[in-house]
Amino acid sequence: MIITLNDATTRAIAGKLSKMREERGEAATDRVLTLLISCSEDELEAALRAANEASREHPCRVIALVPRDPDDERAGLDAQIRFGADGGAGEVIVLRPSGELTKHLDTLAIPLMVSDIPAVAWWPGTPPQDPSRDAIGAMASSRITDAGRSAEPLRAFDALRRHADANDVDLAWTRLTLWRGELASILDQPPHLPVLRCRVSGQKDDLSTLLMAAWLRYELRAPVGISWNDTGCRLTSVALTRADGDILLTREAGGTGSAAILPDQARLLLPGEKPQMMSLPCRSTADCLMEELAQLDPDNLYASVIHSDFDFSEDRV
Amino acid sequence: MSTLEPETGGPASAGQAADGWSNPLRDPRDLRIPRIAGPCTLVIFGVTGDLARKKLLPAIYDLANRGLLPTSFGLIGFGRRSWSDDQFRDWVKEHVRTRCRTVFRESTWNQLTEGIRFARGTFDDPAAFAHLGEIVLQVDADRNTHGNHAFYMSVPPSAFPVVARQLAASGLSESAGDAWRRVIIEKPFGHDLASARRLDETISSVFESDSIFRIDHYLGKETVQNLLAMRFANMLFEPIWNANYVDHVQITMAEDIGIGSRAGYYDGIGAARDVIQNHLLQLLALTAMEEPVSFSSHDLAMEKAKVLSAVRLPEDLAVHTARGQYAAGWQGEEKVCGYLQEQGVDPASTTETYAAVRLDIDTRRWAGVPFYLRTGKRLGKRVTEIAVVFRKAPHLPFESTATREMGQNAIVFRIQPDEGITLRFGSKVPGSRMEVRDVNMDFDYGRSFTGASPEAYERLILDVLLGDAPLFPTTQEVDLSWRILDPIEEFWGTQGAPEQYRSGAWGPAGADALMHADGRAWRLP
Repeated sequence: MIITLNDATTRAIAGKLSKMREERGEAATDRVLTLLISCSEDELEAALRAANEASREHPCRVIALVPRDPDDERAGLDAQIRFGADGGAGEVIVLRPSGELTKHLDTLAIPLMVSDIPAVAWWPGTPPQDPSRDAIGAMASSRITDAGRSAEPLRAFDALRRHADANDVDLAWTRLTLWRGELASILDQPPHLPVLRCRVSGQKDDLSTLLMAAWLRYELRAPVGISWNDTGCRLTSVALTRADGDILLTREAGGTGSAAILPDQARLLLPGEKPQMMSLPCRSTADCLMEELAQLDPDNLYASVIHSDFDFSEDRV
Repeated sequence: MSTLEPETGGPASAGQAADGWSNPLRDPRDLRIPRIAGPCTLVIFGVTGDLARKKLLPAIYDLANRGLLPTSFGLIGFGRRSWSDDQFRDWVKEHVRTRCRTVFRESTWNQLTEGIRFARGTFDDPAAFAHLGEIVLQVDADRNTHGNHAFYMSVPPSAFPVVARQLAASGLSESAGDAWRRVIIEKPFGHDLASARRLDETISSVFESDSIFRIDHYLGKETVQNLLAMRFANMLFEPIWNANYVDHVQITMAEDIGIGSRAGYYDGIGAARDVIQNHLLQLLALTAMEEPVSFSSHDLAMEKAKVLSAVRLPEDLAVHTARGQYAAGWQGEEKVCGYLQEQGVDPASTTETYAAVRLDIDTRRWAGVPFYLRTGKRLGKRVTEIAVVFRKAPHLPFESTATREMGQNAIVFRIQPDEGITLRFGSKVPGSRMEVRDVNMDFDYGRSFTGASPEAYERLILDVLLGDAPLFPTTQEVDLSWRILDPIEEFWGTQGAPEQYRSGAWGPAGADALMHADGRAWRLP
């Protein structure tokens, strides 16, 4: 259900929320966090869908801040409260400020945040240059960006990297978790030989592919090459070369660089063993968001990886 | 909240390997990547049984779907039916599809199905085990499972010895090189100390003692693990977790159903052996134990064994134990028969369907704090909880009328259903007079961590495949539990028929008398 409050005040919204809670016999203390979404009108609905899905695992109050025209002479606030089927396992508050109000978004959100629980900020589209100094980001204890979805991913990510705070993370990293898990468990198995070199392939300029390369280079201290393709899928394969041969984990249906991609699956080739298919689904934004919300402490490994030899200006084909 | 995860991945899967090699991709700072089991084959004996159908197979699928099973995974069902591999796969798929917790994904199923085989045979047929051996080898080759095998005994305990002997005779229990063998057994672990020891000897003559995993599925439940988080991660509770503040503890596991079709198993065993010996004594141990040095299997087992070894039985077993049998009557709106009328039960059976005992723990922390354990079938509702009931305040600066409605403070761990924690304390009733009444403060697992808790069996199966055992009771714990229960059973053996109790209520009068003797009463759970 969606309640629209035009020309609203934050006090009226807070009042409405507590009245609704009383009527539905709910306690705000069931929420485990406040999720602050900073986005544009076009990004809003997709972001809320992902947030609602994630809220089923982490019941949260979602506050979406969607600024309208900052040059509007009239400073005003239109709001929506969504709950029930439209609000995931919590409630969603959409705030659409215009004019002067767009310049201090934090004061709009503060009265609506649930007390005494962490706040997480998420930019589903173009992130600010320095999330921890952004008005919304500064209120949050963790900050999630998705530079891959901005207009210029590489430029956006480079800025994030330069301003990175311990509590910032980009979803390009989260998208790699399943891949990294598989690769680590492959190396758990004998023979325990050092990896001599690696090659990763993916869609041109894809951030996850770059992060995979950086992670391998950082942890294995081995040279890592990157091959770009135009499959439209982010990361498509990782090959690790050891003295006993190549380990290949790939989504590409045929040989390397082929445009055909296996849906939700990957092929694993180990030296001297038959190829095997494994389930390796492409992670949805909601999936990644769930992982981030499960883990609000700083990711020190991520910080080390992005500050390591992370050079994406040069095409390492 | 899973407090039992080792800090840097599982000891078997991660970090240091036996040859001193450590995996560079398992960075201790990496909190994201999951523990994935290594290549292996799981053989399930009794695969067509209820447990396998309803719990094990769906749990295996859910593990695969969560990406926690290796690509190189084989699943072999052993049973009497004359199935082809494909028929078995269809049967598994049907049960997985209806029971799985996560979404059913074809890609996950396809990955799993390639490693599924069926071995036909009976437990007393050596040829069947020779055939099973061939299938296992073939799966090893097809699925690159590196010769690692786990055997799940989802069979009645009477079949353990014969299956164990067959595994030994066929050479299946032996491994070469680095490969491991593990065996998983379900309760009951014997019916008294002597039989538990015999069973243990049989199994450990075939498998190494650290390769034997005894499943107590209660220990895989998130709320039970949360008991440890709640006690040892917080500052709030541990200071009052002792005889200075605690008056007594009540541990209840009530079922609203009768024995159903389990007469063959249940008659002669009874409520105490079926539930108190394993589930309730484990809950007692986790509630009462001292803080372990770490959550490794060894340290945790040591603390549990310590507290179990300090348990003292009541002096007068006639007063401080109670047992009963459900009588015919009404369970809610349903007319039900009594235990003695159940199909397959000896009409003169003295097996109890309700058991309650008082236990004391001789340690400084718990001196004088009784632990009351009760379990029964056909009780008022299905509920499992641990209630820690606190002493009354030594002085109340109110008029006596102000606090007459107030009871004792309590912390209640609800294990099932409605997993969560309730804190019970007094609060002023609004109005001009000072009057204090009990209120509840509630934490509900399902609301704060919605719906995504893995099933106990998922966690436990994964732990077996990883070789990580903090959630499995050790031989020593099983021994100690029987030491506690044996004298009680022996006493009951001399007492003739148990008291009959009304179905759909809270057990026999003797259980209430047990509490009244101490000036206390059972909580209404």
